[in-house]
Amino acid sequence: MGGIAGTKARLVWAVNLAALMLVVLWTIPTFGLLVSSFRDRDQIAASGWWRTPFTAESTGFVRAGTAADQQPEGDLFVISGMVLAPGQTLLAWGTSARAPGAFAPGETVALKDGQALSVAADGHYRLTAPQAFTETRGMRIFLTTTTPPRLTTDNYARVIGAEGLGRAFLNTFTVTIPATVIPILIAAFAAYALAWMQFPGRALLIAAVVGLLVVPLQLALIPLLKLHNDIGLGKGYMGIWLAHTGFGLPLAIYLLRNYMVGLPREIIESARVDGATEFQIFRRIILPLSFPALASFAIFQFLWVWNDLLVATVFLGNSQAQLVMTGVLRELLGSRGGDWEILAASAFVSIAVPLLVFFAMQKYLVRGLLAGSVKGG
Amino acid sequence: MTKTLFLSVATLALIAGSAGAQDLKFSPGADARFDWASYEALKSMDLKGQKLTVLGPWLSADKDLVESVLAYFEVATGVDVRYSGSDSFEQQIVIDAEAGSPPDVAVFPQPGLAADLAKKGHLKPLAEGVEGWIKANYAAGDSWAAYGNYTGPDGQAHQYAFPYKADVKSLVWYVPENFEDAGYEVPQTMEDLKTLTEQIVADGGTPWCIGLGSGGATGWPATDWVEDMMLRLNTPADYDAWVQNDLKFDDPKVIAAIEDFGWFARNDAFVSGGAGAVASTDFRDSPKGLFTSPPQCYLHRQASFIPSFFPEGTVIGQDADFFYFPAYADRDLGQPVLGAGTMFAKLTDNPAADAFITFLQSPIAHEVWMAQTGFVTPYKAVNPDIYGDATLKKMGDILLNATTFRFDGSDLMPGAIGAGAFWTGMVDYAGGKDAAAVAQAIQATWDTLK
Repeated sequence: MGGIAGTKARLVWAVNLAALMLVVLWTIPTFGLLVSSFRDRDQIAASGWWRTPFTAESTGFVRAGTAADQQPEGDLFVISGMVLAPGQTLLAWGTSARAPGAFAPGETVALKDGQALSVAADGHYRLTAPQAFTETRGMRIFLTTTTPPRLTTDNYARVIGAEGLGRAFLNTFTVTIPATVIPILIAAFAAYALAWMQFPGRALLIAAVVGLLVVPLQLALIPLLKLHNDIGLGKGYMGIWLAHTGFGLPLAIYLLRNYMVGLPREIIESARVDGATEFQIFRRIILPLSFPALASFAIFQFLWVWNDLLVATVFLGNSQAQLVMTGVLRELLGSRGGDWEILAASAFVSIAVPLLVFFAMQKYLVRGLLAGSVKGG
Repeated sequence: MTKTLFLSVATLALIAGSAGAQDLKFSPGADARFDWASYEALKSMDLKGQKLTVLGPWLSADKDLVESVLAYFEVATGVDVRYSGSDSFEQQIVIDAEAGSPPDVAVFPQPGLAADLAKKGHLKPLAEGVEGWIKANYAAGDSWAAYGNYTGPDGQAHQYAFPYKADVKSLVWYVPENFEDAGYEVPQTMEDLKTLTEQIVADGGTPWCIGLGSGGATGWPATDWVEDMMLRLNTPADYDAWVQNDLKFDDPKVIAAIEDFGWFARNDAFVSGGAGAVASTDFRDSPKGLFTSPPQCYLHRQASFIPSFFPEGTVIGQDADFFYFPAYADRDLGQPVLGAGTMFAKLTDNPAADAFITFLQSPIAHEVWMAQTGFVTPYKAVNPDIYGDATLKKMGDILLNATTFRFDGSDLMPGAIGAGAFWTGMVDYAGGKDAAAVAQAIQATWDTLK
């Protein structure tokens, strides 16, 4: 007996460990993105995000002062200054790109024309010459330094301070809320009819709805926009609400219908016997009982519309007044993309509202995910 | 009463007028280097209250630049211009044109797509005389005009697009101070460039940074290399025939150009990270090797836009500079320049669109952008002293001195080749596949399109 119980416990452990590992694996990319969003562009280019907590050794150069900075000192001309940023430690320095770490801190090195350069360990450099400097461009002093770990919130400042982001936030809400509510309204009616009302062709209609689930929405972009233009709707909020409603309806109807079909037949039949009309049954019995399914679909639709860029660019247009948030974030990336630090910060800015929605409605999502999968659930 | 009303209206109009003038980057008449006469001439077109929508590929900083130019058109003619940018311009213009809600003017980054839309009847031919104007006023004007000349739905060729804003592709970027440290000179001929490459290796350095990675478009930087080599090994006529597939892709002339690119890219000693790294390095990351210490590489061949991927704070002309990707001295082919440009085309019959094309023909439309950043023009009548920095002027000079200008060939080829088989073929070639086999595979794909 004890042996079996032990196996069981070990099995539970193994399952738990496996689950934990999957969760960790699953969250690593997101965590990496979060760390990257606090690093600047050069840091991202130089090393991976996992190197963030360590002191980084890097080689680069700093320009010395120009002729304008020189001071006469006795019979010498001197340019002096500081090459280290706060927190940096100097390991080695040099004067040519080919040997950037040729000299130790504190050394004095003779250059051409009687010039001499020394860089002290604290980062102060001193460039001397017997005759006046004429350079208008400071000479390069190559430094090998260690820099302590550094994080920055500049990326977030740039994203949140972006021109038109506030307006775009409102635009996204203007698109998202009706585009979530309208399909739920229509789908709830349709789902009830398909689940509980008897009429010819019902099975065919259900099959058609399931069939529509597999049609990619990209196929419909041009014909649908053409229709909107022909009936005078053009590009605007009305058009995008209708478009999102259309694209969301098949899944909504399918999900809600499967849930409603699983509700106990006895309740509905006794209501009918008591003389309730179909609408009363729908409003008083079906809707309250279907709340988990409605909420879970609302979350799906909200997230999908919130994150959408494609449908918005096609049906809403690109002008500043109509740009949604994803559009503004895309603009921040520039004409050629590649600004990873902005991309990372944008991801976490745009994730904020969906996260709120998710946590607020999460308890329904867990129940609702099972919607339609188990009879009576 | 009426008098006060008139007065206040007049004051309002004045205020509105001055507000408009303040939006202009350079106030008209102030800087004598600009061609203000051409700006004043625009005022004869009075289109007050008209609207013009423009769709283009430019976003963020580029968008601000193009809007600074559009402002002059708005103030001079009274047209209300609405520019919107999209990073998926290629898809969006097709959707909008097909669905019947096109913008009045679209800015095509490549002629191939514009030609497709012209054939389907979505573009409107430009006014008579524009074609002749381009030929007469642009350096290498015949080439430029040809890139906007497409076959319409009626089977006739018309001038459908107006080239405005050029990109120069035949550039090699380097760090002048690294050259000074090592004692290298800027090469004047392709032979010198090859000698310099070998010299850098002999000195223990790595000459080139080459990266072909670009997400779904991986391989395109290599097509630019091959096109540049085509122009340096063969005549412009051969290049044109190649783009039309009259000269087959597996012709020995084309294979020679591919192999000449391979001379640089397939030698482990010549490329930072070895030949194996070429295909996997992202093109946006590849120039960074120029700026490390010690430098990972000394040379990087890329178009005029690449400084936006240099490390922050890099000053062009000081920290980094470029030279013309030179031609072979022993082949009498002159100074060929490979480039690209954006094409403005009309999609509606809005009269403001015609006025807009006329605006683009005025020197002021070019000079306003020239005086800022990221713009070169082949227009001969502009004042080259206006260029915002010495680098732009140098690029402009390369364009104006070009004996041959050719458009990026992969943009002119059918999409399945220029944005498909050519890219993947070049990745295969960089990975070690034989040039002849790659060329045959691309030609086989092209044959299936006919």
